Amino acid sequence: MKKVSILSLQHIQASLHSGKSILSDISMSFTAGNIHVIMGPNGSGKSTLANVLMGNPEYSVKGKIYVGKTDISTLTTSERAKKGIFLAFQSPIAISGVSVIHLIRSAYQELYPSTKVVSKMHNPALSKRYASSGMSITELLDAVKKYASMLHIDEALLSRSIHEGFSGGERKKIEVLQALVLRPTFAIFDEIDTGLDVDALKIVAHGIEVLQKQGTGCIIITHYQRLLMYLHPDTVTVIKKGTVVQTGNAELAKKIEGSGYGE
Amino acid sequence: MASNTQSFVKAPYVFGFHKPEDYIYKSGRGLSESVIRDMSAQKGESKWMLDFRLKSLAIYEKKMMPSWGPNLVDIQFENLFYFIRPVKSQADAWKDLPDAIRETYDKIGIPEMEKKFLSGVSAQYESEVVYKSIEKTLHEKGVIFTDMDTAVKKYPELVKKYFGTLIPPADNKFAALNSAVWSGGSFIYVPKNVSVGLPLQAYFRINAANMGQFERTLIIADEGSYVHYIEGCTAPIYSTDSLHSAVVEIFVEKGARVRYSTVQNWSTNVYNLVTKRARVEEEGIMEWVDGNIGSKITMKYPSCYLVGKKAHGEVLSVAYAGKGQIQDTGGKMIHLAPETTSRIISKSVSGGGGRTSYRGLVYIASNAKGARNNVVCDALILDHLSRSDTYPKMDVRVTQSITEHEASVSRISDEQLFYLTSRGITPAAAASMIVNGFIEPIVKALPLEYAVELNRLMDLEMLGSVG
Repeated sequence: MKKVSILSLQHIQASLHSGKSILSDISMSFTAGNIHVIMGPNGSGKSTLANVLMGNPEYSVKGKIYVGKTDISTLTTSERAKKGIFLAFQSPIAISGVSVIHLIRSAYQELYPSTKVVSKMHNPALSKRYASSGMSITELLDAVKKYASMLHIDEALLSRSIHEGFSGGERKKIEVLQALVLRPTFAIFDEIDTGLDVDALKIVAHGIEVLQKQGTGCIIITHYQRLLMYLHPDTVTVIKKGTVVQTGNAELAKKIEGSGYGE
Repeated sequence: MASNTQSFVKAPYVFGFHKPEDYIYKSGRGLSESVIRDMSAQKGESKWMLDFRLKSLAIYEKKMMPSWGPNLVDIQFENLFYFIRPVKSQADAWKDLPDAIRETYDKIGIPEMEKKFLSGVSAQYESEVVYKSIEKTLHEKGVIFTDMDTAVKKYPELVKKYFGTLIPPADNKFAALNSAVWSGGSFIYVPKNVSVGLPLQAYFRINAANMGQFERTLIIADEGSYVHYIEGCTAPIYSTDSLHSAVVEIFVEKGARVRYSTVQNWSTNVYNLVTKRARVEEEGIMEWVDGNIGSKITMKYPSCYLVGKKAHGEVLSVAYAGKGQIQDTGGKMIHLAPETTSRIISKSVSGGGGRTSYRGLVYIASNAKGARNNVVCDALILDHLSRSDTYPKMDVRVTQSITEHEASVSRISDEQLFYLTSRGITPAAAASMIVNGFIEPIVKALPLEYAVELNRLMDLEMLGSVG
């Protein structure tokens, strides 16, 4: 995947198909390798922003989104993923019969494809085998295990249906695990800190730090400052009623924790 | 899982090739006493089998078509060929097969499968088994695994004792038809306390247009034995309709266990009307694992007659109905003894205007105290053109028993699609993953190769229906 350093939003407006407006006019930019925090009260449009970046078809969107010089605003969700965008969901949905490892493998093969045919299968139903342009299957499995252990994820979880019957903490960790293995250019974490105890919070924060050091731009959407005790944000942006009201650095987050959003 | 889903175009039916017809013997069109006498003579059968066939023909002619279920009026019985013999004698080795037949099997991929972990391959081309290889160990253990025609000649007493006793010709019109004109199929006998470690397999294939295929399978698992039999079907495409009507009888003796797995992928002009039944004695276990993807209309309801105390029956079935297809499947559990248990898990997927139906019967007789049954049928409907119906029937004659029925109908959720596509997976591949995940509980009961084949076939179908 080609590394592009800036993700920028220009005059983004978003509404539900029912007509309800959620984001009124948002312009901001993110840099790969940095940590960007987006804060705001409930209902301010933070999660909508995450969904809009990822191209959720539930929203009607106006404005432009660029990765470097490439306009991605008309791309589909999977095409955006291929441009290096990743979303860690706030409450990810379970998919029966699709294991964590199966999902990661399929996603990896889509993101790091190759047209190089390794071997032709005799049986037309199996057709051809392709090599990935990234890690081999064995290397991929090793990477998954390495990061799983780093995140204190029980290995048995990897072969279970994704998010089916997982605890809140397990869900969040599995989202971080995917980001670490898939190495996006920009990863959006939508309330990754909610429902985590202190230990899990530290582990997740460490995961995000590792990801940042790999060069990923991490966009952290949160209510609270608590995750920020373990991370060092480059920028903090406050959103209220669908628009940017304040921009600053880590100090801004601390101030908000003290005085609230000024409701 | 498919990683290369670059094409949204309906994938062609990959097994839809066919070879020039090259046969030693082909009966005329239609069915008559003379066709049956001819067939029986060609096969060199003894009188009892000829009599059985003729008696069955008389029943067939009197029986009405089923008054329920899918419409079968388009089957042109008088246009079918009822018996075709492809080669003079059975080939013992792969290399002895005629080139055209061998190429056909090559395309399906049989030799590789054989090389791997199969203990015995018995491949049916047209009406007779032409190629088979049986491992020595089977002989040493006293296991008989042969085609049905050979069994009638070689083991007449054993065959006579069981043949047509569980599914008599009068059971239904298609059982009568099969009894009259049956050809090929497998015969398995597993002696007492013998466990056959690797699955026994047969591939069936129809090559000639307008040809009816009526194989007949009989499995006897003696006390305390175990066997897993696998039947897989692929057929080429033809403009005229073909009929496949098999009869499968299984005897599970005391403490024995039989698993019967099928992956059916007939081309979409084949009527697949099959009668499958097992009789399960005390503490015996019968498991039907049934995958239905192909055919125009399939009607198939594997049954277990639980006649011995604590006998257990299972049907795990998965069906996919695409454009123009009807999959009318299900299962029957007949509890005739105390403490018998059974389970039916049916998963169906309909897309492109296809139609799936679950049709099931659970009968618990008055003496079956402590019987337990559980039915789960889940349907996934891919679009607004498609349809799924459930026709469960329960007849419980004793109060001290438990029956459970759960049914669900679902669609692929937008939320699941968004999640998977956010990982870079294309919408078509994502839908395919969700569908394969949905049927996974059944697929994992299949041997690995069949699971892979079923997933692949499902992917090919999905490419045509989602985009």
